[in-house]
Amino acid sequence: MFLRKSIIALTGLFLCIFLIVHLSANIILLLPQETARGLYNAYATTLRESFLIKIVAYVLYLSIILHVIYAIQITFKNRRAKPKKYLENKLRQNSSWASQNMGLLGVAILLFLVVHLANFWARIKLGLGEGVRLDDNGHVDVYEVTYSLFQNSYYVFFYTVLMVPLGLHLHHGFKSAFMTLGFYHKKGLNILAKISLAYAGMMSIGFGIIPLMVYLK
Amino acid sequence: MKVTFKIWRQENAKSNGGFQSYEVDGLTDDMSFLEALDHLNEILVGQNQKTIAYEYDCREGICGQCGVFINGRAHGPLDNITTCQLHMRSFTDGQTIVVEPWRAKAFPVIKDLVVDRSALDNIMEQGGYISAKTGTAPEANAILVGKDVADKAMDAAACIGCGACVASCKNASAALFTAAKINHMNSLPQGKQEAHRRVLEMSRQMELEGFGSCTFTGACEVECPEGISITNIAEMNARRAMAKWHNL
Ligand code: HEM
Ligand code: FES
Repeated sequence: MFLRKSIIALTGLFLCIFLIVHLSANIILLLPQETARGLYNAYATTLRESFLIKIVAYVLYLSIILHVIYAIQITFKNRRAKPKKYLENKLRQNSSWASQNMGLLGVAILLFLVVHLANFWARIKLGLGEGVRLDDNGHVDVYEVTYSLFQNSYYVFFYTVLMVPLGLHLHHGFKSAFMTLGFYHKKGLNILAKISLAYAGMMSIGFGIIPLMVYLK
Repeated sequence: MKVTFKIWRQENAKSNGGFQSYEVDGLTDDMSFLEALDHLNEILVGQNQKTIAYEYDCREGICGQCGVFINGRAHGPLDNITTCQLHMRSFTDGQTIVVEPWRAKAFPVIKDLVVDRSALDNIMEQGGYISAKTGTAPEANAILVGKDVADKAMDAAACIGCGACVASCKNASAALFTAAKINHMNSLPQGKQEAHRRVLEMSRQMELEGFGSCTFTGACEVECPEGISITNIAEMNARRAMAKWHNL
């Protein structure tokens, strides 16, 4: 379990870095319509054509798969270690809700991922569903896929609300991963707890607000 | 002072068990929690009923023998104390107090509130010692230990093995206990020789006993009577990684 737990931590941290890059790129979506279209599509094309990004993408798929499989395994094993629950258990007095519910939060993120990948990845990369047009520069119009999706208020709601469990998962997960990997410097961990909060806040607010802003464009 | 105790009663390891309520009058603020249970047992004896089984030895917070789950917290509502150090003034008149045994697969209930904590001893047997005949107490300055190292080792050595970390952990992980024992020994010069073997075997035994793994919820360090820091677990992970690397 130590090895598997370390893999959850390593893949989790890799996903954390991915989220920073992903969010940074998505800021383009907030620019005026046609500027955003040009830049976003050009960026997407560059990524698609890069060999390095191809490797990173496979590492990303593998990370998600390993993270999820091991997390589910470890959650069930941990549950078996405590077969009988207490009649009364005041968990809020000794620990955070997020830390107690990483599995549940993970399932919420997984639900998000399935929908998110179906909306973008399946349509753009796998060519499933409605075809994607090219823009004036001959780039695949990824911007249009995003823009049209976020004209639908149900999707906007879904994309925004599910950033709450993401934020909670990251708030605990980011700092926990360092401890799993053996970082035990006390002062460093106090600073890390603050970084973790700031990071989680930025990711959930950042990703959560973009669909809203696009909707209101 | 009058309270209602709602207590887990279980005849033996095989029987099912369940909660039973007892209204107890004649308690005072300055009674310890264990004295309140003693008082209840005296009443039960008077009524010719079976007394409630619970563990204790020193009653001064040093042996680690006592320990029950009280109103949803290991060792009761206060942070960082043992059950024997808890007093009735922490409760209000007329309150219902739920008392449950430690819950973990590795800690089977023996009777009522008493659980079998041998699993912790089994972890200790895998290296919670130094395999050298020490003879009589050696001259204190024969092996020099820096103050910072001595302090840190002492903080970890303070663990009294009560099991509150396991009891309060959602995964019933014994990581805080195991880490405290490993770090105590491995940070001192006398423990260095067997450091790698110790960390690998003790952490392995922890898993074999059926304890869960650590999610760093931090519940353990809040309930630990000795306030042993959760950073000990991160340190154990680091020591484990180093030992693995060393053995490659
Ligand atoms: C964007 C996606 C995700 C990121 C960035 C992420 C990040 C992390 C990080 C950094 C940790 C800390 C590892 C540790 O405590 O050592 C973690 C733990 C965890 N993750 Fe994720 N995660 C993501 C998605 C998921 C998904 C989809 C699931 C499950 C279906 C999941 C389930 C878990 C669980 C159960 C844990 C806690 C394991 C434990 O300590 O008991 N995560 N995650
Ligand atoms: S009886 Fe010894 S610690 Fe409580």
